[in-house]
Amino acid sequence: METDEELVRRTLSEGSHHFGVLIQRYADYLFGLGMRLTSGNKELAEDISQQAFMKSYTYLKSFNSQKKFKHWLTGIAVNCYKDLIQKENQHLSLNAKDEPNYTPHLEGNIDFFNLIKPLTEDEKILFTLKYVYEYQINEIADLLNQKSGTVKSKISRALEKLK
Amino acid sequence: MNQLETIIEKEKETSYSQRNKELFSFYTLTLINQEQASRKLKRKLWVSLLLITAGLFLLLSPISEMMNYFILNLSSPSMVDIFTVAAVSYGFLFVLIVFLKQRISILS
Repeated sequence: METDEELVRRTLSEGSHHFGVLIQRYADYLFGLGMRLTSGNKELAEDISQQAFMKSYTYLKSFNSQKKFKHWLTGIAVNCYKDLIQKENQHLSLNAKDEPNYTPHLEGNIDFFNLIKPLTEDEKILFTLKYVYEYQINEIADLLNQKSGTVKSKISRALEKLK
Repeated sequence: MNQLETIIEKEKETSYSQRNKELFSFYTLTLINQEQASRKLKRKLWVSLLLITAGLFLLLSPISEMMNYFILNLSSPSMVDIFTVAAVSYGFLFVLIVFLKQRISILS
């Protein structure tokens, strides 16, 4: 089986069809991450994973092969989630008076979604990456372009909220 | 704390799957290719626009030169000068068109 880095190299030299293998490899992973961050909103989770793959293809040349492709992709997906949430909020505030309430189709572990409900978007991301995906603090800091100290204190604050 | 750990453990065991991975992959790749094609086309259009503008400028410059000659020296226009200016300008335009054709074939 080809490694992620080999597939990236082949995508850049031979064409986008090699990227299809990477999409299939990480489709479930990104969808799961999207589901957890959006508290089980299937449509948003699909949008996040698709946007993340499209963005990663656009910036594939800038991928540093010394790093793990999965980590790089996770960072992009988190940014896509933030963008999407921002757009959703703008859309909701603009159309709140005109449109009837839209109820998204929710699925998954309701207990977990209720658990992280009191957290801010940023805290939700950090908490999920640390405790569900078991990323190290320095890895999270690296993939989100934040300082380790900041990540650590935000996660502690999130834990305090949940206790 | 125990309850928190139990919920997290349960979440770790939960697996999420895309509805149809093959279809998702195919659709995402189609979108990627579409986006790439649209970027290429935009780049081609900009290059063409630039070259066409430069070409038009060169095409019109000998005409104004000829007009000047006819207006200033209506009695004895120097046809040699007029043809020299026209030949140089149209020659340059020809080179530009060849370059434009090559550029388009490289981009496609």
